[in-house]
Amino acid sequence: MRNQPNPTCRPPLQHPTSALVRVGSRLSSCRGWLATATAALLVVGTWALTLPLAVRAETAPARPSRAEPLTYERHIRPLLKTHCFHCHGEGGELGGGLDLRLRRLITAGGESGAAVVPGDGSASLLLERMAAGEMPPEDVEIRPTAADIELVRDWIAAGAAGRTEPDDLDPANYITEEERGYWAFQAVQRPPLPTVTETVRARTPIDHFLLARLSRESLTFGPDADPIRLLRRVSIDLTGLPPTVAEIEAFVADQAPGAYERLVDRLLNSPRYGERWGRHWLDVAGYADSEGYVDADPVRPYAYQYRDYVIAAFNQGKPFDQFITEQLAGDELVGQPFSNLSPEDAEKLIATGFLRMCPDGTAAGDVDQGVARNAVVSKTIEIVSTSLLGLTVGCAECHNHRYDPISQSDYYAWRAIFEPALDWKNWQVPTKRRVSLYTDADRAAAAQIEAEAKAILAERTAKQEQLIQETFARQLNKLAEELREPVREAYQTPAKQRTAEQQKLLKQHPSVNVTASSLYLYDKKAAAELKALADKANALRQTKPEERFVRALWEPAAKTPPKTFLFIRGDHEQPGEELAPNGLPILATADQAPLPVNDGDLPSSGRRLAYARQLTSPSHPLVARVIANRIWLHHFGKGLVETPGDFGQLGVPPTHPGLLDWLAAELQAGWDVKHLQRLIVTSTAYRQASRNRDRALQVDAQNQLYWRMPIRRLEAEVLRDSLLAVCGRLDLEMGGPAVPVMADRAGRFVIGKENLNAGRPGAVIDMHGAQFRRSVFIQVRRSRPLGVMDPFDLPIPSPNCTQRASSTVAPQSLMLMNSDFVTEVARRFADRIQSEAGKEMTEQIRLAWLAAFARQPTARELADATKYVAEQQEVFAASPPAKTAKQTSAGSRHEALSSLCHALLSSNEFLYVD
Amino acid sequence: MTPFDRLQSNRRHFLATHAFGICSTALAWLLQQDAASAAPPKPNLAPEHFDLKPKPPQHRPAAQAMISLWMQGGPSHIDLFDPKPELTKRDGQPFPGDIKYDNAAQASATMLGSPWKFQQHGECGTELSELLPHLAEIVDDICLIRSTRTGVNNHGQSIRALNTGQIVGGQPGLGSWLTYGLGSESQDLPAYLALTDPGQLPVLGVENWNNGYLPSVYQGTVIRPQEPRILNLTPPARLAGTAQQRYLGYLENLNRRHLAQRPGEHDLEARIASYELAARMQTAAKEALDLSQESAATQRMYGMEDKATRDYGSRCLIARRLVERGVRFVQVFTENQRWDHHNSIRSGLPSACKKVDQPSAALVKDLKQRGLLDSTLVHWGGEMGRLPVIQNDAGPKKVGRDHNTYGFSMWLAGGGVRGGMTFGSTDEFGHQAVENVVHHYDYHATLLHLFGLDPELLNYEQNNRVRTLLEGRGRVVKEILA
Repeated sequence: MRNQPNPTCRPPLQHPTSALVRVGSRLSSCRGWLATATAALLVVGTWALTLPLAVRAETAPARPSRAEPLTYERHIRPLLKTHCFHCHGEGGELGGGLDLRLRRLITAGGESGAAVVPGDGSASLLLERMAAGEMPPEDVEIRPTAADIELVRDWIAAGAAGRTEPDDLDPANYITEEERGYWAFQAVQRPPLPTVTETVRARTPIDHFLLARLSRESLTFGPDADPIRLLRRVSIDLTGLPPTVAEIEAFVADQAPGAYERLVDRLLNSPRYGERWGRHWLDVAGYADSEGYVDADPVRPYAYQYRDYVIAAFNQGKPFDQFITEQLAGDELVGQPFSNLSPEDAEKLIATGFLRMCPDGTAAGDVDQGVARNAVVSKTIEIVSTSLLGLTVGCAECHNHRYDPISQSDYYAWRAIFEPALDWKNWQVPTKRRVSLYTDADRAAAAQIEAEAKAILAERTAKQEQLIQETFARQLNKLAEELREPVREAYQTPAKQRTAEQQKLLKQHPSVNVTASSLYLYDKKAAAELKALADKANALRQTKPEERFVRALWEPAAKTPPKTFLFIRGDHEQPGEELAPNGLPILATADQAPLPVNDGDLPSSGRRLAYARQLTSPSHPLVARVIANRIWLHHFGKGLVETPGDFGQLGVPPTHPGLLDWLAAELQAGWDVKHLQRLIVTSTAYRQASRNRDRALQVDAQNQLYWRMPIRRLEAEVLRDSLLAVCGRLDLEMGGPAVPVMADRAGRFVIGKENLNAGRPGAVIDMHGAQFRRSVFIQVRRSRPLGVMDPFDLPIPSPNCTQRASSTVAPQSLMLMNSDFVTEVARRFADRIQSEAGKEMTEQIRLAWLAAFARQPTARELADATKYVAEQQEVFAASPPAKTAKQTSAGSRHEALSSLCHALLSSNEFLYVD
Repeated sequence: MTPFDRLQSNRRHFLATHAFGICSTALAWLLQQDAASAAPPKPNLAPEHFDLKPKPPQHRPAAQAMISLWMQGGPSHIDLFDPKPELTKRDGQPFPGDIKYDNAAQASATMLGSPWKFQQHGECGTELSELLPHLAEIVDDICLIRSTRTGVNNHGQSIRALNTGQIVGGQPGLGSWLTYGLGSESQDLPAYLALTDPGQLPVLGVENWNNGYLPSVYQGTVIRPQEPRILNLTPPARLAGTAQQRYLGYLENLNRRHLAQRPGEHDLEARIASYELAARMQTAAKEALDLSQESAATQRMYGMEDKATRDYGSRCLIARRLVERGVRFVQVFTENQRWDHHNSIRSGLPSACKKVDQPSAALVKDLKQRGLLDSTLVHWGGEMGRLPVIQNDAGPKKVGRDHNTYGFSMWLAGGGVRGGMTFGSTDEFGHQAVENVVHHYDYHATLLHLFGLDPELLNYEQNNRVRTLLEGRGRVVKEILA
């Protein structure tokens, strides 16, 4: 519904998505820890934020302790910033003339006098109004707790102490030492490895950090996982596919030392690796093959090149700093104009597709252009902040951030980095933001063909005119003779010059109104003739060299960059002060040069390029931490910081800050992602078994300390790809235009080329096996999530997804039980087993187990499965299919085997990795 | 939660109902956290949760469920519902005013009086065509609106106008809005069901039950005319019955054994439970679709013994069974363009009527005798009527009528609508609605009113824009309320 003005950020618009599911109607936009944590707990799986305090993070989180002397900066300012600054300091006009941003301003007070009288709570208006619930005003939803008010009371009683405030201290740009001291804003420093007693289990430096922490709780890692379990785990983690039977056999056969390490290298070098890990990055980049924003959700035909770029970058092991720089400023690395581009330069332009991923409705006719354009700017930079900075910078779009030291001016200065390319006053719609890959020679050839096509079309137009006249003459002849002449005259008179009489005459004889658009209704043959000519012209046009485009972001060459203004309350129609480009001050380091306003050495402003250099400098406090945390997240199901898109005050502090920094430092050392992953997957932490242990459960039920490997459900793409792989149908062709998604006759979104006829799906167009390609190559149309993946928490980018959910709901079960897709996969799986395992039932079952679960069945499982197949065979044989049902012609034995395969593929052992 | 106290988003949604409570250690932690000082309130970073749980309307509703009998193609109102003696009188003469045609090549200005006789029926004395003898029996229960108007002269746009309120695509339909606002009384059946004809899908195909910009949990679910009747919700025919029971039993064994080796894995337990829920939903769907539970007399009443009415009759009967089981919105579609009588109306219209007249009337009678009519709104109508002039002037057998969206008829019954009345009228030839015009948005305003929904509060925010069904238009047609 339309909401009351809300003093807090409106989460759907301003805050990044998280995996949490909102529960209950009483919980609205902002609420206490309790509600959020409850929501977290209600989410199935491993996402809960909670753990007993005993095993909370290694270092103290930012929350202040009451044990130390109360000070303004440490205890009081954060809560006033959250609840009061908006009206009392930051909002322009001061409420009641009172500014609460500095201690001296508080004691000076406002129109009603001093807000605080040190040592005297009863004389302190601040406390009085807060305690009475009058402040913040009643309609403000988010409220200080009773504990907050107690804190204010105690602080005043103890003398309202705080830091000395120099007279020239500007409250508007004041960042306290406490704020600066927040862990995530400190430069990354590689910590020494903690010493551990269990040296045998410390395979990698990672294990040192984890073991040291575990031992403090008298815990340790679980035993190493069974090698075959580990094979399945690491194969799915690194390539998104279960190991094939041949791979299992090869791994089992390799008894030489280092077999596991060789396996890891093989997986990291597999092209499947880039498809899997590229997909993770595409989530945070908000990759989509459609523009979104409006209902029509137009397709982006060339976005796929960015997807292929990302996959290739992971496969090639492109250094991540270079990967970031190309995505933020690839255009500034290429000389303008962008003509006759080399493949290397084209690649750099394609990389800027990162900044062209968010929904863009600016080409639609019926949108408010000001709103739509600014949405593109703010959503694009939201993607930058949540993917690279791990901060909810967007909160500062309308007002100063309530928790993190990011002011509204900081936000717009940061936005100014991107505005020369995303200039909302001189906007380019999506079709203008693409660069042709045509060479001059291509262009000349195309022009020649176009001239020939135009000649054919001119012929068609002449023919059409002739046919209209002939048709008219025929229609005229159907009229009574005396009418013909007046009707002809009326028809031939231009519409505006017709007399009333003539108009009436034509109205009485509507069938003589032959026009170009109605000609087909009279004369099908004539229409066909015209169509043949049009087709001929079109066919000729098809012979032009194919023109591919790059969806890119760049700045107009040699142009003065636009001015960037702060938008008062985030409203683009209310510009405030002008701001020069700047990274966020809280993240600035001493050695950092200011960003150029307009770099004279480049055709562009140079702002993004310089900013990319800042981000990838070793002194940047966040980028390496954020990326290292993401890599960890995708191996362990949760990050060391459990809020991968928010490292700020509202995020969850790291469970292992030392390890996070060590990983970040290791990443910065060469920006080698594969290297970091090799360290992770060869660690004991990663190689341990997933089983629960009672004592460990009692101490740390949420496994925050990594005393076991968590069990994780397959993501939507991995599930689909694994099903196709196991049944032997997966098509491994890489790259190229997205495989399209359409609505079928029942309204399900399926893979297929849309072929509408009066709005309904017409004849099905053969996809020639493209329907079996890996999910990363299937079109991401925001309005058409693929039916078989949608129930499994497939994200719909709006603008991006910083962390996926893992839900457990009935539609998933129904899909696995009954869908055409899964039952078809089960039949094909049975085909494969029958053809590969021979006629012996036992061998067939063994192969099924190996392919689906990467292990041999136990004797009992084998016996049960044999019995199941025999019983199902009886059931199917008792009701033979009707003769017309061709799919079941393979006989009851095949049907029974398919049913077994179906059960394996819908079982938890298949759906989860442990 | 209700949409009315919700901060909006177009984010990901979940049909989830999560199976877990709060474990004791975690609870202790939560309580500690609550007491801890200066813990900053945490903005909700979570996507919205959208579900189908029942939600209260804003004011006392008359209707709780709706069955819309959708006559795709445009039944000729002047031959069925709206007698025009003047047209009959001037049959064969030129039409005296302006007419907008859809098909110019076959257009003529020659008027065509209805070939069928009209007669008064019931206590109310409403005149109906001889083609609708069964409707005549329930005429005292229906409100016949003779002044419907959308003013967009082709099928797709006019369907959208009546079904979604807008003529452009991508909008949620009535069923999506009602289930979004009110949820469903049944959690074991889909809340919004579309019953399609064994023939071709209606014009616009699957768009007819699309959720538009609303979350996809509010999308209509299709009940197909043959097995599997509900995709994914019912198994493919070969896998149904004993085969599936054994499959589910075996699957549970696999999962239980897997879980036994992984004690304390709640997610694995939850998935076992979700299979049980899925199986319950499947049973509920199967039961709801099992017409053999109906008495022979009921089946006969719906025309299930007659080939012409069997299919549509069985779908009307299914509609009743669904509404009885708590489904909020059911739409029964006739096949593609069955009523689009551009030609051969003399044979085509009686045959179309034969298929639907008896079952439609039976539905109203049946709902009434079961005490369900008061709370169930029944709608019968298509996206247009027909023109008073001849199309395809190629002899009496071949003549037809072209589109007319400027004035046509539909009827409503039950759900708080007054029976035994007519409302509005068209001009003397039946071309334009002239008195008490009911635009599509007036119809929608009236529907929302009947369901107790405030048209402004029933909204959804999309890309910073607050969307509603009415988009600020429409009046509640109070004259037809019971």
